[in-house]
Amino acid sequence: MVGCTYAAVPLYRRFCQATGYGGTVQRRETVEEKILRHAQDGTVTNREIVVRFNADVSDGMPWKFIPTQREVRVKPGESALAFYTAENLSSAPITGMSTYNVTPMKAAVYFNKIQCFCFEEQRLLPGEQIDMPVFFYIDPEFETDPRMDGINDIILSYTFFKIAEDKS
Amino acid sequence: MSAGGAFGGNRGARPVPPEKGVFPLDHMHLCDQEKKEYISCLKTSGHKSEICRHLSKKYLECRMEKNLMAKQDMSELGFTTDDKSQESKMKIQNEMEG
Repeated sequence: MVGCTYAAVPLYRRFCQATGYGGTVQRRETVEEKILRHAQDGTVTNREIVVRFNADVSDGMPWKFIPTQREVRVKPGESALAFYTAENLSSAPITGMSTYNVTPMKAAVYFNKIQCFCFEEQRLLPGEQIDMPVFFYIDPEFETDPRMDGINDIILSYTFFKIAEDKS
Repeated sequence: MSAGGAFGGNRGARPVPPEKGVFPLDHMHLCDQEKKEYISCLKTSGHKSEICRHLSKKYLECRMEKNLMAKQDMSELGFTTDDKSQESKMKIQNEMEG
């Protein structure tokens, strides 16, 4: 199982840098390239999107895991920062790994994560509390897609799974 | 034996900056102050990202300084000089009110 996880991490990293949602992984341009292109084009957006945050842990994962802010109001094309906070409530070091999804699913293709902690194994010592940042960007093309009419709320959900526990 | 040792375990102590796309954990809480300022700003500004962007920029700059993030040009991350002038505007406002 360790071998599988090891091989998967580089793939997940690239996945994280691309559009970041399951199904098709689009590598036409990186998020940074997209940001620069829209900056050069002088793209203007008007619609305010409320991004809300969910946090879960799997059964048997003894971490407290919560979003640090309940929402961030952002316009497409504006990169934004958000945090989650995790705390290892147990008496042993625990390694976890997270997955995430974005809803509504049809909006997910526009939700780009520039930097995140997802798909990386994270180890917390007993009692350790840590901040987990996510730096994201909603593609300005969201605003001109008629399928996105009426979508003003996006939910980013993370779930942490236990990968290993140090027994000493 | 923990699988976390290979990736997440020592990341905070590494002198080498991480590759782009990944935020290693700030185990030493080196950028806690910048994070707190940003979160506090969100809470008092109706959670509007636009108003607090200059603080998110400060947070990312802190991370880059402490090798918790690959160094990149801030314009690649969506920060323009407009954000700087927003910061100075807020500073001037605070000084006038304070």
